[in-house]
Amino acid sequence: MIDIEVFIKTFIVLALFGTAGVGLYGVIAKPHATKKIISLTILGDTVNALAILLGYRYPGGIPPVYTGQPPNEFVGSAVDPLPQALVLTAIVIGMAVNLLIIYIALQTYRLYGTLDTRLIKKLRG
Amino acid sequence: MSGVRKVASAVALLAIVAVLSLGAAAGGMGPFFDGIRALGTFYLSTAPPQIAELVLGPSYRGLSSYSPEVVTSIVWDYRGLDTYFETAVFFLAIIGAVAIYRGIEEPVLRRPASGLSPIVRAVTKFLIPINIAVAASIALHGHLTPGGGFQAGAALAVAPVIVIVVFSRRYLLERGVTKLKALFLRSVGLIGIALVVLIPVIWSVLSGEWAWVMQNQWKPGAEVFSYPAYLGGALISGSIWFLNLFEFLAVSFGFTILFLLISIDEDTVRSCMIRGGEECDRY
Amino acid sequence: MITPELALMLIFVSIAFVFAYLAVEERKLIRAVVYSAVQSAAFAFLFYLLGAPDIVLVYVPVTVGIYPAALLFLIRKTEEVENP
Repeated sequence: MIDIEVFIKTFIVLALFGTAGVGLYGVIAKPHATKKIISLTILGDTVNALAILLGYRYPGGIPPVYTGQPPNEFVGSAVDPLPQALVLTAIVIGMAVNLLIIYIALQTYRLYGTLDTRLIKKLRG
Repeated sequence: MSGVRKVASAVALLAIVAVLSLGAAAGGMGPFFDGIRALGTFYLSTAPPQIAELVLGPSYRGLSSYSPEVVTSIVWDYRGLDTYFETAVFFLAIIGAVAIYRGIEEPVLRRPASGLSPIVRAVTKFLIPINIAVAASIALHGHLTPGGGFQAGAALAVAPVIVIVVFSRRYLLERGVTKLKALFLRSVGLIGIALVVLIPVIWSVLSGEWAWVMQNQWKPGAEVFSYPAYLGGALISGSIWFLNLFEFLAVSFGFTILFLLISIDEDTVRSCMIRGGEECDRY
Repeated sequence: MITPELALMLIFVSIAFVFAYLAVEERKLIRAVVYSAVQSAAFAFLFYLLGAPDIVLVYVPVTVGIYPAALLFLIRKTEEVENP
């Protein structure tokens, strides 16, 4: 007999791995620079989601914000705040870095006239 | 070539997913859907002041950061230096983008401002003040409710994007949101963060007592210095309130600069890149 | 025993996976950006279910507002279709 709860948990984790794999596939295999950037954001988002999932407490995780309930209840049921704090900065800094990549792609288009990496590779000088 | 490449990428993709799953199945990535780590329990039981005084007792209440919002207190107190240097990375990324657009300014043209229909404009005029108010509330209550400097900065950065798309770039410039002002306010934010981080050290040098970089409340071994946890009876969590405010300025105006630059007309950029900055520097 | 949280997480993770695949495979880049935004919205719901309101607050403006805007600026100024 299959335990449906274990199945769903495994499915969620594997689907996140699959999404990260799709993002990685886009970064490696797709030739267009804009598509590579989109895939890179998908990859980063999924890794962040996995980090948050690691800190989740099941059953019944509540957000790590103290709202006046009994202390034992709060410490015993809140989710792990550390991955959230790391992911929080990672999202904003990752966005700044991705915007820098977008600017570099724009400058590449101005200089080379294309964003197709196969064509850029053939250009010399 | 392309067929081989596709097969190779698919195999590599499958291999990566399989290896990651193997690691997860063997417990190498920690417990999914289970309890939390001891470190998380420590943060949960020390960050809120009510719990800290109960758990640690009055003699060690300096380990607390006096904020019921545990995530913000980790970001700005327990792992504060981490965030400090992440802010440095953020600073460098924006400086890199600004450097790509060096010497390029849009000349003042008397073109009619383009934009979307009057209905969209009217709705946007109501929405923008609401956006700003929500962002400010997220920043200033970041130590009490979910929120903080990063969240508020990201929320406010949406406002210039909407204004540029719905009205035009000129509309924003005419309202006084220029690149120089945004750079100035972002620098105010960054300098404010550096000051709040370094004030304990400056105080330590002046007074001869011991204090740590980025110290918020007093710590065992550095008992004398601490930022005020309450101001006029309201909980401000020491340095966390100030750091949230300054990070809000830095993040929101950093992204405002990026969108002011990326919305410059492409013909202007090209002519400036070819002919040099003569008529482009006039503003 | 299925709790509502687990069922909703399953749904949103599936939506995210499908739309991530569509975004990577789509040839028209503007459509790819929209698919990517849908995937991000699904992840935002997932973060809310995982007990992370802070992440939702920072994630929604970043990935549903700012990334698509910046990418649409890029696509409008460069190429709109990816050649196979």
